[in-house]
Amino acid sequence: MNLTATNRRAQITSILGTVACWAMAVLVVGVCVFIIGYLMQQGASSISWKFLSTDPSGSIAEGGGGGVRVPLVGSALLIILSMLVAVPLAVASAVYLAEYMDEGRSLTRIVRVGLEVLAGVPSVVFGMFGLAVFTLPALAFVSAAGADNHSDAYGRSFLVAGIVMGIHVLPFIIKVAEEAIRNVPRSYRSGAAALGMTKWRAIRKIVLPAAGPGIATGIILGMGLVAGDTAIVWLTLGGTMTMAADAWWAPSNALTVLRGSGSTLTTFIYYNSPAGEGNSIGLAFGAAVLLIGLLLVLNIITGVIARYQARAGRAA
Amino acid sequence: MALDDAALAEAVIPPTRAEGNGLQPSFDLHTPAARDGEWLIRPILLFAALSSGLVVTVVVAFVFWRAWPLWHLEGLKFLTTSGWDSQLEDAWNSGGVTFGALPLVVGTVLTTVGSVLVAGVVGTGAAVFLAELAPKWLRGPVEAVVQLMAGIPSVVYGLVGLAVIVPYIMNNMIPDNAGQVLPDIPLDGTCLLAGIIVLSFMILPFFVSVALDALRAVPRSYMDGGMALGMTRWRAITTLQIPAATPGLVAGIVLASSRAVGEAIALSMVAGSLAMVPEFNHGVLYTVLQPIRTMASAIVDTGADASDVPSIASAMFGLASVLLAVSLGLSLTSRWAFKLFNMRTNVVSERRV
Repeated sequence: MNLTATNRRAQITSILGTVACWAMAVLVVGVCVFIIGYLMQQGASSISWKFLSTDPSGSIAEGGGGGVRVPLVGSALLIILSMLVAVPLAVASAVYLAEYMDEGRSLTRIVRVGLEVLAGVPSVVFGMFGLAVFTLPALAFVSAAGADNHSDAYGRSFLVAGIVMGIHVLPFIIKVAEEAIRNVPRSYRSGAAALGMTKWRAIRKIVLPAAGPGIATGIILGMGLVAGDTAIVWLTLGGTMTMAADAWWAPSNALTVLRGSGSTLTTFIYYNSPAGEGNSIGLAFGAAVLLIGLLLVLNIITGVIARYQARAGRAA
Repeated sequence: MALDDAALAEAVIPPTRAEGNGLQPSFDLHTPAARDGEWLIRPILLFAALSSGLVVTVVVAFVFWRAWPLWHLEGLKFLTTSGWDSQLEDAWNSGGVTFGALPLVVGTVLTTVGSVLVAGVVGTGAAVFLAELAPKWLRGPVEAVVQLMAGIPSVVYGLVGLAVIVPYIMNNMIPDNAGQVLPDIPLDGTCLLAGIIVLSFMILPFFVSVALDALRAVPRSYMDGGMALGMTRWRAITTLQIPAATPGLVAGIVLASSRAVGEAIALSMVAGSLAMVPEFNHGVLYTVLQPIRTMASAIVDTGADASDVPSIASAMFGLASVLLAVSLGLSLTSRWAFKLFNMRTNVVSERRV
């Protein structure tokens, strides 16, 4: 056996392999930087006050175009509605799973597997599910628009999209919140019990405040998922770019808007991309810059929370 | 969060009572107020947890219930016959009720397998880099970039793919004689290849983060032992660390494929959205240049028509039921792989003690 030759071969593979791994990492980072940079370069020029403050025009016949005011408001509205659905349920479930659950019981194991499976269901299936459920005539009260000449309800509205989106992000928020609650040190609970607090009071006054930043991280993660999803919005909010009322900001139109269809930044991008009917790519790039900016802000907030938590952890 | 004594006292002792008479006990465990709704809260929380867990049952049951008429009518022919696009038109115009989703199945399989292969290779390399090779100062920023990449919405991937990759393929990769080789198929750059490229980078960050966790969970002693025996670092990585992390890597692959199967909007934008089984007999290049359509993108493309035509609705739910079954299977597989991985690493750490 020729030892030097084997050695040299080993060295060469080692160097080649290392170089390959570096190349893969550079590729990944490069693609991400390219995407962000390309969007900025293409989209920054379309962003102006006019772009932010005008509504999209209703149809292609009107020449397409317009601004992103409705999609911006739509994204915000959808985030709020879906969090109203998901957060209370998610936090309650997380508290139960972390504090009250009896790990041995088969019922709780079913809940756990159920949540895991739910997290894996493609969002387009949720979209189809939501559209079909809410076109049932009995549920017309959440999406009345367009139901005049049908026995079915229209099935698309901010309320419908908010509910379906809330269900979609539920398992993700539960997972992060449960982890945050479990990470609260045992000693907090023992201390509370030693002072005579009941379990629920200790959870409310001690455990939940201590887990607050972690739960907030979960909620922000959920908001990011809502802001970034297109399939559910396209199916359950509809493909119209404008809201159900032209004066959507008027309080008297609130119910009409909530029960009517609309758009978000993601559907606006899809509609205005070369694959959509609007096909004006400048608008799509402008909206994409706004969307990425929004997600970056959410990302930075979670980063700040994580750093704050790490410091608090060290102090304790 | 650090809690000082004052905050604890504040929490335990209702302020009004504490301020009252200093001699009286500040609270009484036996009054209903002190029990504080304890008896009520447990069932409420249980109900919340159960309803979160049972949502999945409702979704699954509903989807299969709505898909049943189609499966009853067509059976497996739904998955083994072609003709999707024209059948949709028939259903819309003249009330056709049969559908053949074979092209969609083929499209889904091709995009998923292709992108998982690319993401698996690139992602394993990047994960090894992050776990072993990168200088310490570089790890944080690269991980942050990977995390950021996971947050880019699919519609943005689709938009960039349409603006960059599709024109590149159209201008540089389609051979001049393509019109004679594949006369009936529009080759405009939106194709299988564009779909695979875009999808690869979409699922990559998810695979990298799982693979990285798996590599980091392999006990340090493996690498140390190997290198003490004279292995190069690279050899220790390839013969010890990666094999030990394999179940974790498999879980990552499964997770990534579950995302790839369910991706709708980006593929509907860049992959052509035409339900055709590619003609394979002109070589690899011609195969990947042909447009395809996947099951998920077919739902997002035509799902909105479902509320007008019942047979389209059942076709949509036929696809949704397949997607649901696949994602159920993949979830359970990745769960099993994670369990296997945890079992192995636990055994190792016990032995170490």
